[in-house]
Amino acid sequence: MRALIVFCHPKQDSFTGSVLATVRDRLDAAGVEYRVRDLYRSNFAPVLTAGEMDIYLDESVNTGPVAADVEDLRWADTLIFVYPTWWYGLPAMLKGWLDRVLVPGVAFLMPDGENKDIRPGLTNITRLGVFTTCGASWWLTRFIGAPGKRTLLRGVRLICARTCKTTYAAHHLMDSSSDASRKAHLRKVAARMDRLIGAPRAAPREQTA
Amino acid sequence: MTRAMVLFAHPCEESFSAALHKRVVLALEGRGWEVDDCDLYAEDFSPVLTEAERRGYHEVPDNTGPVAAYVERLQAAEALVMVFPVWNFGYPAMLKGFLDRVFLPGVSFRLEDGHVRPNLTKIRRLAAVTTYGGTRLRAALCGDPPRKCVTRAVWHVCRPRKMRYLALYDMNRADDDRRARFLGRVATEMETL
Repeated sequence: MRALIVFCHPKQDSFTGSVLATVRDRLDAAGVEYRVRDLYRSNFAPVLTAGEMDIYLDESVNTGPVAADVEDLRWADTLIFVYPTWWYGLPAMLKGWLDRVLVPGVAFLMPDGENKDIRPGLTNITRLGVFTTCGASWWLTRFIGAPGKRTLLRGVRLICARTCKTTYAAHHLMDSSSDASRKAHLRKVAARMDRLIGAPRAAPREQTA
Repeated sequence: MTRAMVLFAHPCEESFSAALHKRVVLALEGRGWEVDDCDLYAEDFSPVLTEAERRGYHEVPDNTGPVAAYVERLQAAEALVMVFPVWNFGYPAMLKGFLDRVFLPGVSFRLEDGHVRPNLTKIRRLAAVTTYGGTRLRAALCGDPPRKCVTRAVWHVCRPRKMRYLALYDMNRADDDRRARFLGRVATEMETL
């Protein structure tokens, strides 16, 4: 198993940083090899430029500006996102990582003569984990439609392997969180991580007529 | 005179998004509205909320310091029109960063007992003009995050009287005819927004 953790928070000492530490701890405990892409500390540039847009569809060169990230993505079979939810969605930093790295030929295959529709490209990803924090309540997030969660767990999930296993945990109402609620959340993250990287799901039993 | 802010995010001048942007500005100006045309790429907006901004996020009113000019423009608006392409199931980072950095506590919302209360209620008209690579069905299967970002999240802090979400799906297979029809529809909707 090889995990790529995409971590996005401006403050390293934030609660999101503790979530990252928990995720790493569970991967360490299971002896899983992993890489951490810390977008803020590495000064990732999230703005897709006009130059990149010009070569966006040219699969022979479009990975050039983000070659290391594409290499990470192709190396991994497990993809984990750790970030705060802002405006019900991903921070611009993380959204920009998707914009620039999930290019045609990597994340999805564009329609061609034989295929009419866009096809998934991240079929090497068999596990997807999403860990976040929300200022809003669970209800308000639900009402808005949880765009951030859906961007990853449905959008990105659609371009992963067909049998991709997923997990998700969010601490809601962050602004009125307590020590106890934060600790409980970290325990939840640890448990969900263990399940995510645990034994692969048993093959579905064959249907008998 | 109604003052409209047009938020636009696309790097390329020759893109269909840029054509939509021009049509929107033209239609609004044609109504005699005062248009504040905010082209985020052209203005070289920085979408990254920094560590210092995160630490000072809840310090109303000092939190607006780093983006004071944008806050002023947003607060002057009586109509807000967002023009953008959907990339990977969401706003371009450029536009998402505008929300992260400018839609601050005390600007777009107030926190009362941990609850979000709308604070951009001067905006009486809200619209989005966008294009998707995927089909409507594909977007719906993902829960159509960008549609919800506009019609629920942004709506929630403005509570506009009128709202329009204009989307051209399945862009990669849209022929000249479909694109022209969409441009026409956008113009009509902007004239009646």
